[in-house]
Amino acid sequence: MKSTDDSLPNLRSSPQRDRRNQWRVILCAFVWAIFFVAVTLGIKKEWLPFGVSLAGVTATSLFGLATVLAYRRFLHETDELRRKIEVEALALAFGLGVVGGLTYWLLAVMGAVHETGFAYVFALMLLTHSVGVLIGRRRYS
Amino acid sequence: MKNRLKVMRAERDWTQADLADRLDVSRQTVNAIEKGKYDPSLPLAFRIAQVFAKSIEEIFDPEG
Repeated sequence: MKSTDDSLPNLRSSPQRDRRNQWRVILCAFVWAIFFVAVTLGIKKEWLPFGVSLAGVTATSLFGLATVLAYRRFLHETDELRRKIEVEALALAFGLGVVGGLTYWLLAVMGAVHETGFAYVFALMLLTHSVGVLIGRRRYS
Repeated sequence: MKNRLKVMRAERDWTQADLADRLDVSRQTVNAIEKGKYDPSLPLAFRIAQVFAKSIEEIFDPEG
């Protein structure tokens, strides 16, 4: 007789479609990150001629756009609880990003930090989103 | 909102994974609904009622 008391959530049991969409997002984000790092290095170290740099920036933007579209598809097709968890995490990340970004901007106006450090705000948003998803999964399990 | 999902699932000897497959949702969703941590949307509530061949009121208690 099968056990019917499954108190622990098991993410492996999510529909096949969700896993496929998740992997698509991860793959797009990975390629985007690789391009971003490679193009940034290439431009900073002056390894790339202007035309190649421009093509690299364009390709990076396109992979970024592909990641956004893949994530949108994941959100659209995933089951409703997971969508709720993701949306709550996005709201948290967006809110913290706005507050963090404006605070950073004020500090930059004061001269306390460099304006070029704005990338940290995006890193904060990504981190907040990940933490938000983890908190959501715990809350609903 | 209270519900009889766990009892009805057990009556049919289904695991949470079995029910999740039938509803096309994750097992985490079934688990959260059973524990009352998450209230399903109206379309999902209808699917649940359809799977168990019951009315929504027989499964979910809004007063709970």
